[in-house]
Amino acid sequence: MADKPIEGEKRVFMTGNEAVAWAALAADADIMYGYPITPQNEIMHYWTRLAPRYEKRFLQTEDEISAGFTTCGGVLSGKRAFTATAGPGNVLMQEAMSMAEMLRIPTVLVVQQRGGPSTATVIYSQQETTLTCFGGNGEGMRIVYSTSSHQDLFDYTIKAFNIAWKYRFPTFVLGDGYQAKMRESLYIYDPEGKGMAMEKTMPFLGQEGMPGVDREPAHLRNTYNTEEELYAVISKYVEEYNKLTPEVVEYQAEDTDDAEIILLAHGIVARAALAATRTLRSKGVKAGYFRPITLRPFPAEQLRQIARTAQKFVVAESAQGQLLKLVQEAIYGETVPLETYLKPGQGITGEELVDFIDSMINGKIKGKLNSKINGKGGF
Amino acid sequence: MDATVKIALAGEGGQGVQSVAGIMVEAANDGGREALYIPNFGVEQRGGVSVAFCQISDQKIGSPKFKKADLVIALSDRAVRRTRQYVDKDTLFIYDASLKGLENELPQDAKKILAIPALEIAKNELHPRVFNIIIMGAAIEATKIIGMEQAKKAVEKRLGYKFAQNPKLRELNFQALERGARLVKESLA
Repeated sequence: MADKPIEGEKRVFMTGNEAVAWAALAADADIMYGYPITPQNEIMHYWTRLAPRYEKRFLQTEDEISAGFTTCGGVLSGKRAFTATAGPGNVLMQEAMSMAEMLRIPTVLVVQQRGGPSTATVIYSQQETTLTCFGGNGEGMRIVYSTSSHQDLFDYTIKAFNIAWKYRFPTFVLGDGYQAKMRESLYIYDPEGKGMAMEKTMPFLGQEGMPGVDREPAHLRNTYNTEEELYAVISKYVEEYNKLTPEVVEYQAEDTDDAEIILLAHGIVARAALAATRTLRSKGVKAGYFRPITLRPFPAEQLRQIARTAQKFVVAESAQGQLLKLVQEAIYGETVPLETYLKPGQGITGEELVDFIDSMINGKIKGKLNSKINGKGGF
Repeated sequence: MDATVKIALAGEGGQGVQSVAGIMVEAANDGGREALYIPNFGVEQRGGVSVAFCQISDQKIGSPKFKKADLVIALSDRAVRRTRQYVDKDTLFIYDASLKGLENELPQDAKKILAIPALEIAKNELHPRVFNIIIMGAAIEATKIIGMEQAKKAVEKRLGYKFAQNPKLRELNFQALERGARLVKESLA
């Protein structure tokens, strides 16, 4: 048996699901809990093939409700545990993820979005953005990374374990069916070899010493008797969440300084937005690109700065305005006009964004041009 | 975005378009280029039109699917109807010559349309099993995304374990590659 799943760093050509399984191994995850659903199945398949070689475990549960709760249980026992799902499975997992928010359990959940609502398609969408950011009966106190390449899937799956265990909020890697199933190149590596230490894990219960004497008692509570008690706890969580926000937010931007039109997208659609931005620049259009990498917390301050100088925002997503809502909240009060390119459940290419902006500039999209952010939703 | 070669291969489930797409992009990747391949897939376990979207470039590739291809190869009448949406004035459209009665179904605005007798050659000259390798030969000749030697190496990498048991298969596959390339070369000459 090899000591480490990956020695050094190497270039590989694989599917995104495979990249996630390798990342979990590289991050020294102990166990995956899961229930099959397309398009994330191969994360489980690769994990079950690779894991036994490194003394890692896998448990297939009876459904996603169980997979979510067993992941919580694994984490409580001190294991670096994770799960993966998509679509209707993501809906079911919100029950457990909501508990993870309440008990501050650092679960890691990889989501490969498929079409919705309900069974819809097994292919692709960005329609699980709101669900992944705000699912459950709470305040969405979680960390959500939206990946746009296989390199991202690998990097942010490793990072998700560290961020989850450091801040003790459930952490999500939000991919999609395209990323799950396509093949492209990436570098996989041993995080330690890059000087990245993995956050230590520990059991939540049964620590050494006398509770209340030698250490704080582990009081895991998700039921409260009074409104005041709950309010005090949630307020403390909100404060901690706000404090971590500047440390955790990530985004990518290009050519935003002098840009008149900003293309805004997340996940795989950001690749189309970046390609379109570069093409438009080469045609003399002052275009810029902004991609939130963390959707929760959202890089609101950074986007607000850009909103103050840009003349127009164009939000593109494979959903009917889920990123749009995050953007609108982030820049509330700014007056930059907002256009939308929304295709729920369908992919978006760079070429069509260039065409869209071409027609926008040429005034072919009548009536939408003067729309102001506060007056117009995505529909 | 223009330096990227975009290919859509489409056929009936079982014709092997996904396999050759996989071999081609892996060869391009092994050659140090950027490649991206995504199969279409639906809820069905088998049957239906199978489309492979491939892109090869010297830079990181943008969106995984595309509006218009440089090369479309369609291997069944349903595949022709499904893929003509990816054709514009810069597209080479190749279909199998055995498909009949498609006069009104073919794309109208392609740069060029070629009918190649790949199915017939596979059946009568080589072996039905290498039909998809003939198509691979045609695809690399039409796009030059990889050279013939690279293509052979890639086929060897994928099928070497079968060649080890039966060396004749190697020759048959390499012939299929060359025959496919020649079909396109002669048609374009």
